[in-house]
Amino acid sequence: MSDEPKSCSTRSNAEPTAARSHLPMWILVLMLALLYLGGIYFDRHSGWFDKQVYSPYANAAELESYQPKSGAAALLAQSKKTYEFVCGVCHGTDGLGKPGQFPPLAGSEWVNAKDYKRLAQIPLEGLGGTVHVKGQEWNASMAAMGAGLSDADLAAVLTYVRSSWGNQAGAVAADDVKLVRATVAGKPAINGEPQLKTIPE
Amino acid sequence: MKNGFVIFLAAFAVLASSWGAFVLAPQLQLGGAKQVSVLNSSDVYPLNRPGEANQGLRIYRANGCAACHTEQVQQAGFACDVVLTAAGKNPTVISNLISTLKLRGLNEREAEAAANKITTAGGKVETHIVATGPDISRGWGLRHSVAEDFLYDSPVQLGSIRVGPDLADVGARLPDMNWQLLHLYAPQNVVKDSAMPPFRYLFETKKIGDAPSRDALNLPKEFAPAAGYEVVPKAEAKQLVAYLLSLHTDVPLYDAPFTPPQVSTNAPANKQ
Amino acid sequence: MSVNEIIQKNPTTQEIDASCRVPLLVLFGGAALWLGVGSVLALVASLTFHMPEKFGDCPWLTYGHVQPAADDALLYGFCIPAGLGVALWIFTRIGQTPLRGAIVPVVAAHLWHLGVLVGLVGIFVGDSTGFAWLEFPRGGSSLLFFAYLLLGLWALMNFAGRRESRLFPSHWFLIAALFWFPWIYSTANILIVGWPVRGVVQAIIAWWFGDNLVFVWTNLVGIGAAFYFLPKFTGRPLQTYYYALFAFWTLIIFGSMRGIPAGAPVPAWLPALSALNSLLLVVPVIAIAVIGWKTVCGVANQECKGGSFCMIKFGFVSFVLSALLLVATACPHFSRLTQFTWLGAAQTQLQLYGFFAITMFGAIYYILPRVVGIEFAFPKLIRVQHWFAMLGLVIFVVSLAVGGIEQGMKLNDPGVAFADVTKNALPFQRASTMGLLLLVIANLLFALNIFAMILAWKWSVAKSVFAAVTAPLEKSEVKA
Repeated sequence: MSDEPKSCSTRSNAEPTAARSHLPMWILVLMLALLYLGGIYFDRHSGWFDKQVYSPYANAAELESYQPKSGAAALLAQSKKTYEFVCGVCHGTDGLGKPGQFPPLAGSEWVNAKDYKRLAQIPLEGLGGTVHVKGQEWNASMAAMGAGLSDADLAAVLTYVRSSWGNQAGAVAADDVKLVRATVAGKPAINGEPQLKTIPE
Repeated sequence: MKNGFVIFLAAFAVLASSWGAFVLAPQLQLGGAKQVSVLNSSDVYPLNRPGEANQGLRIYRANGCAACHTEQVQQAGFACDVVLTAAGKNPTVISNLISTLKLRGLNEREAEAAANKITTAGGKVETHIVATGPDISRGWGLRHSVAEDFLYDSPVQLGSIRVGPDLADVGARLPDMNWQLLHLYAPQNVVKDSAMPPFRYLFETKKIGDAPSRDALNLPKEFAPAAGYEVVPKAEAKQLVAYLLSLHTDVPLYDAPFTPPQVSTNAPANKQ
Repeated sequence: MSVNEIIQKNPTTQEIDASCRVPLLVLFGGAALWLGVGSVLALVASLTFHMPEKFGDCPWLTYGHVQPAADDALLYGFCIPAGLGVALWIFTRIGQTPLRGAIVPVVAAHLWHLGVLVGLVGIFVGDSTGFAWLEFPRGGSSLLFFAYLLLGLWALMNFAGRRESRLFPSHWFLIAALFWFPWIYSTANILIVGWPVRGVVQAIIAWWFGDNLVFVWTNLVGIGAAFYFLPKFTGRPLQTYYYALFAFWTLIIFGSMRGIPAGAPVPAWLPALSALNSLLLVVPVIAIAVIGWKTVCGVANQECKGGSFCMIKFGFVSFVLSALLLVATACPHFSRLTQFTWLGAAQTQLQLYGFFAITMFGAIYYILPRVVGIEFAFPKLIRVQHWFAMLGLVIFVVSLAVGGIEQGMKLNDPGVAFADVTKNALPFQRASTMGLLLLVIANLLFALNIFAMILAWKWSVAKSVFAAVTAPLEKSEVKA
């Protein structure tokens, strides 16, 4: 027989019973207190079942406020994609355009102008007629390709164009595009170089 | 409780609610997850692993690598860093101002206040979001791991103990295939005092033919095979390394935001 | 009612015990074997840290195979069959009803042990599923599931047909446990191995399964058994019924709604919910501790002689410590410190071995002689085994717990190179290997006693068959 206390060796055949007396109150109070504390913790740390809120973020609002605003580099990367999608089909991903069809943007005097206002109107209004770029004559017409872009996106694309492929002109801000857009609202496409030159720079 | 049926009902109800909370709800919330877009970019994440890397995941599972390595980066917190991008017209004024201000590790309000101070003085700033925590400081990742990181993995090998370092971002941290192969063959060769067992059975030692194989490992004397023999990785070793090199979590997402560091020629040295 | 009918209606304790004989021998015999195998595998696994070079050429002996195999051998090879056997016997005893149709549990027990064998071999050849506690490939897990269903069904049938209709608190715990395993096991296997869900949901389900098996199922069976044996040994009633009822409800509610580690790559509500319920786990732990204390305290002749009663008490204390450690490690600050460290291994061993296995040892040492009708061949070794087990466990758990906390502190300090973290953990590894060595010896001593009893029983069966065959024929049987 395995060693057992003497007191029970004579009663080893009796099945155990359970005493019936009431549950003390203190353990219920403890449970409620812990439920309360746990509830506070859950409120602070769970993000209330939002599937995008991971620890260490406390809630969706905190996550939203700590999103990085587009920095210059990020903006450039985004604008490159937009340019390639919207403008690159004609003007080329390398900015050299298509000989005989679409003018280049690389080294273009219209792109590299000190102020951006004339350049910004071209994608917003469209351009038709004859234009000279880098001494060559171009006759294709361009629709208002930038009219559907938001101010920020168009500003990003213009900034990208003005700082790529050797172009060294300054950036364009979204607010600037907004102003230009307001002035061209409802106007038809620019017709030819003379009219283009009338736009103040 | 009076009878067996009541006990069964009790157990059923409790287990059903546990199942609902930890099996059904996560499946409803995350089970249909799709690729998400990377912050400030039109890229999507994650990309499906190439075939070799998927095979490598099977090798990883079969050899029980998850018994020592985790694949989950932890993040203790987040902070704002205010970074000067342009000095404007008064560089000396800006420079003096910056030396008085705290610009790293700020919360949102402090960062906004500091940024305002600098912009009113004529400078241009950017606010960068950075992740903080021991794992981030060790270079094990740039942000905490999220559900999207494991979207295409089956089985998901998160691991539960760090006998070895975390591997979630090892493809970005140690991208050299030869280093990985050498490490698998003889860990003590490349990492002194490593506790990792060598995985020599993933390689074969064969006689050198007319010329040494391109794949042959370049081993020092105490690990090298006998003269006239070379160590060549088997397909399993190459697949496993392809999997390890495919482990990248260095892109910012909405639920794990950070400002990607500018790529420069002064990239940090390979860390463990 | 004739005398014979009265005897039929009121089986004696010996008859009740004897009805369980063969199923329990198969269950406990196989369990003892897997216990020994598991602890040897664990020893081999821990040797990897002292001499990593040794196993570099053999894929079977790589740490990633041996460690999960050791864990599964302990849990599926020993803990579950031992628990099922003890539960079965407790049902027959409290219900005062012999086990009918014992051939079915015998076959089921063999199927279970076959499933464990298939599963372990599967891990070694590289077919592991890759999830903790779920490594067995489909062949092994299907066998286990089917065998468990049979055993559980037989226990429930015995319960349903019981003579003594009074319910005892152990009934709640054990019936809940019988029901628990099939649900969690089938869910986990279907959703992770069979038709895998997408991505990180696999990990969530795996954590849920692991917690419900290692912490809830073993708690239910172990506490159910303890609540049976403690009053039996002390001769006092369990203190008290309503405490036990409260403990049961809070244990299953709070114990089942946890398991997700803090900082996991899942939305924050999952670890938060888990932490909330882990905190609340304090309540059933306190209730159970009070029940144990009140039932045992003050009873005469309490010195620890290393027998069943001692083991059940030690297991009980281990339960309280293990559950408190579980609560502590769920606290987010502490969890960040210890989550990927050796403390997890210490915690698992404290729960599975310190609490559950040692409680099962106490129960098995009590049950088997009564069920088989033969005394243990080496009764003194029982005490020796007890001391080896206790000592080995304490050394193992304390060394890995302290080592784990220090490892966690160094991991959280980015200034400490990872190589130093590994180096610093080595002395604690060495100590834990010592502890494992003692556990191997303890488990071998246990197995020795069980196998000796099986052999003795087989010998007595052979002798009685031989005697029946060679007995002189009755005169009436001889044809003229």
